[in-house]
Amino acid sequence: MAHRITDGLRQPLARVDAALNRLYGWRYNPLYHSGVLAASLLAVVMLTGLYLVFFWGISAPYASVEHITTRVFLGRFARSLHRYASDAAIAAVAVHLARVWLQRRTWGPRVLAWLTGFLLLGTIWIFGLTGYAMVWDVQGLALVREGARWLDALPLFSEPISRAFDGERAMPGAFFFLNLFAHVALPVALGVLFWLHVSRVARPHLLPPRGLLVAAVGLLVAASVLLPVRMAPPADVLALPGAAPYDLFYAFFLPLTRGLSPWAVWLAAAALVAAILLVPALTRPRVEARPPSVVDERSCTGCEQCWLDCPYEAIRMVERTDGRPYLVARVDPTLCTSCGICAGSCAPMGVGPPGRTGKDQLAAARRFAAAHPAGGRDVVVVACRQSGGGAAAGELDGAPVFPVSCSGNLHTSVVELLVRSGAGGVLVVACPPRDCWSREGPVWLEQRLFMGREAELRSRVDPRRVRVVHAGEGERAAARAALRAFREEVRSLAAQAAEDPADLERECAEPPPVPEPLGRLVTR
Amino acid sequence: MSGPLRALAGLALAAGATLGVVGLSRVPYAEDRGAAGELRLAWRWKSERVRQCRKLSPAEVAKLPAHMRRAEDCQRGLRPWRLVVAVDGGAASDDTIRARGAESDRPLFVFRRLPLVPGSHAVRVRFSPVGEGGPAAVGLDTVVGIAARRVVLVTMAEDTSRLVFRTASP
Repeated sequence: MAHRITDGLRQPLARVDAALNRLYGWRYNPLYHSGVLAASLLAVVMLTGLYLVFFWGISAPYASVEHITTRVFLGRFARSLHRYASDAAIAAVAVHLARVWLQRRTWGPRVLAWLTGFLLLGTIWIFGLTGYAMVWDVQGLALVREGARWLDALPLFSEPISRAFDGERAMPGAFFFLNLFAHVALPVALGVLFWLHVSRVARPHLLPPRGLLVAAVGLLVAASVLLPVRMAPPADVLALPGAAPYDLFYAFFLPLTRGLSPWAVWLAAAALVAAILLVPALTRPRVEARPPSVVDERSCTGCEQCWLDCPYEAIRMVERTDGRPYLVARVDPTLCTSCGICAGSCAPMGVGPPGRTGKDQLAAARRFAAAHPAGGRDVVVVACRQSGGGAAAGELDGAPVFPVSCSGNLHTSVVELLVRSGAGGVLVVACPPRDCWSREGPVWLEQRLFMGREAELRSRVDPRRVRVVHAGEGERAAARAALRAFREEVRSLAAQAAEDPADLERECAEPPPVPEPLGRLVTR
Repeated sequence: MSGPLRALAGLALAAGATLGVVGLSRVPYAEDRGAAGELRLAWRWKSERVRQCRKLSPAEVAKLPAHMRRAEDCQRGLRPWRLVVAVDGGAASDDTIRARGAESDRPLFVFRRLPLVPGSHAVRVRFSPVGEGGPAAVGLDTVVGIAARRVVLVTMAEDTSRLVFRTASP
């Protein structure tokens, strides 16, 4: 049921991704960079906030904001950018969470990132609410009153905090002091949560591509200059405000909750939290479907490449117990997401998820080659199941498709086998690198195929016969276009003669050469 | 789609998304629709402690554990007060205000919002102790003018001996 929902909702997302890739290219698709965009926008919020806080006054909050807006040098601009960047950050975080959920990247070592992601969203939201209270206009008062109404239902305070906002007595100055403290302290919490958020992944991306960052901030700067924020009417506890501008990114709940009792609001919040906590359990596949990687210790040469390539730090290098003078890889099954990237990184094919190791792939590729005998100028497609390469259909515009769970799972020996079996060329259809469900599959694949990264494609394979194209789930047309172009190129090459690739299997079966002892235990 | 056209479409989409952010950050919204005013009653009241005891029957005493047996069962807490509000001669509110807290020992808090059409209204508020004895009731009989979208606040005076009304923020 949960999988049907995510699969159904992912189709429109794939179409939007495809449209944005056509406009901006996958490198600058903002949806692929939603998480790091949010982090960058929060940095803008903090920088502008640092400037604004110098001019804000606890004793006269509204008047000081009015002073900032009308008198302070760049005050209106800084305030506008502060607001728009915080709004865009909320939107970016929401997009990021939706993507992660729909792509079911929420289980295993990613549970911590999922939970801290929601904590980050909640913290950013509260951060924004405290900011609006600092303005102390009609929206600030409405937000504060609604929050006080909810809190008063809980047995936490000896006196209802709503009293502070009903006009019975003057607004306590302590409220603005505490609110300022919260507004300034919350970024510290954001920093800790962000660190936790990326702590379980190797090589986390922290910044979007420079062009995208400049464009995003530039557009918000332009909006701040051309459409600056205006002052709303001041908060008046003895007035019923008419229509005023509200920020729906932060005040979206007001129309929903005002008619509800506080307990109904708390119940709804508890249900939402329960649903969020359940997502990792609901999206987790059965172990049989996604078994964790295992290491064949006899084949392991201790080269450390799987340890380097694993995107979730699920592999450690430990001392061997069989007396060989080098380390051996060890997989922590609780951290392994069964992405199979280690299988693609291991030249002697000694590691990987059962059924998807290099040896398993090679056996499957041999069967595939036998079932689809290729002419010397035919192209064979190898497609990641998440890409638009037609992995499910088994063919792409007449070309047979060899499916892999992730392009990073693909062992280069499979490409060599397909070429040496007589295929004129091999087109690998991978997801765009920033949209890889296993984080780094397409990056490692290209480096293994063309840049000599360990488990590299042997030099005896003509690189002109191998091509990688990035086409996401909704980009079948892009994959087809790449196939057409590649077919043309392959036709211009001499026909590839089929040869017996049996020695590939012999190479795999032979015991690996003993490398120089490393003499140290490597830990990360 | 040609290169320049794609660039133009990309720019238009980015500008549209930015305008969307700006637009959603300033959506007109009215917390309270219409032109009604409001009569708001809000004050804190420190009621006096009351203790109501009754003798337990021998059967009730026997049911209690030996170390908890006592002759009387006493309920303690602050005395509840009754709030009656009439506007233009009609009943607008009639409630009993009870002390908060597990031991009912926190002060009483009154908070009521009564929407009223703009204009003059005869308001009668009576706040009286519940039960036998207790201090004298406090009340307010007055005519208030309520403007559109404004609040008239009825609250306790500083000396906590009488109710007053207020139309401007303190």
